[in-house]
Amino acid sequence: MWLPLLGLILGVSLGLLSDIQIPQLYSNYLSIAVLAALDTLFGGIRAYLQQIYDDKVFISGFFFNIALAAGLAFLGVHLGVDLYLAAVFAFGVRLFQNIAVIRRILLTKWSDRGKVSEKKFQE
Amino acid sequence: MKKAINWKFTLILLLIGFMIAVQYNSVKNPKIRDTRDIWAIRQELAEEKKLHSELLSEIRELDNTISTYKSLSESSAGQALNDTVEKLNRKAGTTDITGPGIVIEVKPSPESVAYGIPITSISSDLLTRFVNEVNRFKGIAMEIDGKRNTVMSSIRVINGFTSVNGLNVSTPPFKIKIISPTLSESEKLYNYLLASSIHDDFYLDNLVLDISKPMNDVSMRGWPEKFENLYLQELPKGE
Repeated sequence: MWLPLLGLILGVSLGLLSDIQIPQLYSNYLSIAVLAALDTLFGGIRAYLQQIYDDKVFISGFFFNIALAAGLAFLGVHLGVDLYLAAVFAFGVRLFQNIAVIRRILLTKWSDRGKVSEKKFQE
Repeated sequence: MKKAINWKFTLILLLIGFMIAVQYNSVKNPKIRDTRDIWAIRQELAEEKKLHSELLSEIRELDNTISTYKSLSESSAGQALNDTVEKLNRKAGTTDITGPGIVIEVKPSPESVAYGIPITSISSDLLTRFVNEVNRFKGIAMEIDGKRNTVMSSIRVINGFTSVNGLNVSTPPFKIKIISPTLSESEKLYNYLLASSIHDDFYLDNLVLDISKPMNDVSMRGWPEKFENLYLQELPKGE
């Protein structure tokens, strides 16, 4: 549980300390890539909680989604259509859905645990 | 199995964290585009060059001092030190000096006298403006109404009266003396002040400037107050 959090903190501090900046031109791509990454992450957590987690799906999804989102944005820029909005929309909706599912699962678990402890208390 | 998942999650989260941090960096402090044109850059270069030459001349002067110290024998080292102290005192404005300069009389304007407008003390803003205007010229010494104005001096309002070095400036008319290094520089200052727009600023306050022609021996008193030495300390001898 704590190891992934440590990874996140390490990544953020690495990024902040290294003071890397990408040109304004490519900031759109990175933002959409971040969105894709977050979507995959929450998808992975959900799958893990539903016990349908698969390594290959998770890893390939992570990279493929990022590449697809950036590619879509790139295509959009060259066609003059804001295609990256499609990616933002799709990932945004999925993000909300995934988080909702995670919340429900956690709520169920929590209430189950409450019931179990109540039973124990009654016994 | 769980360990493997943890490990992969950690790696992915590390990547995500890094991406977010980079994005945050680029959005929060974008690199400002350099929009100066060639003339603006030349201007800045010229300023830097000026600073450079000023520094060089300062270094040369200090080198001179060092060589004086070196060339003097042990016995007259004290004399050299005294000379330096004297020079610094003159620079700081603590000694009486005489030299080529101009005398400016600040008087109430004839109109204000005719209309009977009460004469008030000169405003500190106006006096500061005047001092700034004159300080365009390097190496000058200035005395305002008998108070020596140096880099350490302050012009401010105390209890409603404009003061220099904490002493009140009397209501006009009073005199301002400016001593320049040479007579020709004094003439330059005189010509500059004659054409300067500072007259208008004084006239708005019902004052006029009467600038005398450059004279060869204008004398002014030193600033008698001692310096407050807050930071420097004497080293123990023999070390």
